[in-house]
Amino acid sequence: MEPITGRALILACSAIGAGLAMIAGIGPGIGQGYAAGKGAEGVGRQPEAQGDIVRTMLLGAAVAETTGIYGLIVALILLFANPLIGLL
Amino acid sequence: MNETFELQAKIIKINGILLCILIVGSFIFFEEPLSFVYGLIFGGLIGILNFIQLAKTMEKAVRMNPAGAQAYASINYFIRFAIMAVVLIVSLKADYINALATVIGLLSIKFIILVTNLFNDKEYYKNIFKRKEV
Repeated sequence: MEPITGRALILACSAIGAGLAMIAGIGPGIGQGYAAGKGAEGVGRQPEAQGDIVRTMLLGAAVAETTGIYGLIVALILLFANPLIGLL
Repeated sequence: MNETFELQAKIIKINGILLCILIVGSFIFFEEPLSFVYGLIFGGLIGILNFIQLAKTMEKAVRMNPAGAQAYASINYFIRFAIMAVVLIVSLKADYINALATVIGLLSIKFIILVTNLFNDKEYYKNIFKRKEV
């Protein structure tokens, strides 16, 4: 059996790290869905406040997405532009 | 019908101005600015389109029943997430697009939202230092 090289170990660990980083993308999806559901409930209870509810929800959802994008960026950098391989 | 049009227009306008400033700045400060400029334009435009899609999703979701709205918003989020993944992969793979500039362009609209709607409010800063028990 061939010994594991440093490069192979880094690539394997980077792939695992990328997979773990992608977990960060799930949270905002669940949260945004939950907020949309509550927003729909709110509009059903008070239809005249629809404009305010949608505007507030839009801003909140746009900011909440940011953390998911951070996770995505970390994962893609580990997969496609890994800086650790250059350290070998 | 379109309750968020003014808000969208305001945020997109400010984002366009910020992108223009960044593009002019990159022409001044970098020796070879083209890849950075391409990245800014690519990321910025996709960020704006994502924001418009988010607004459309939210406007439609509040007219649905709560369970339907939940599923609809989540599915649309993952569609936008996949689009962003494609954009980032393209910018990382293509040599003529700077990946960092793409990330800056994608996230610039979030930064604008935070600056124009949260950090411009004096109450936000007061509430940070306000004692909760008072």
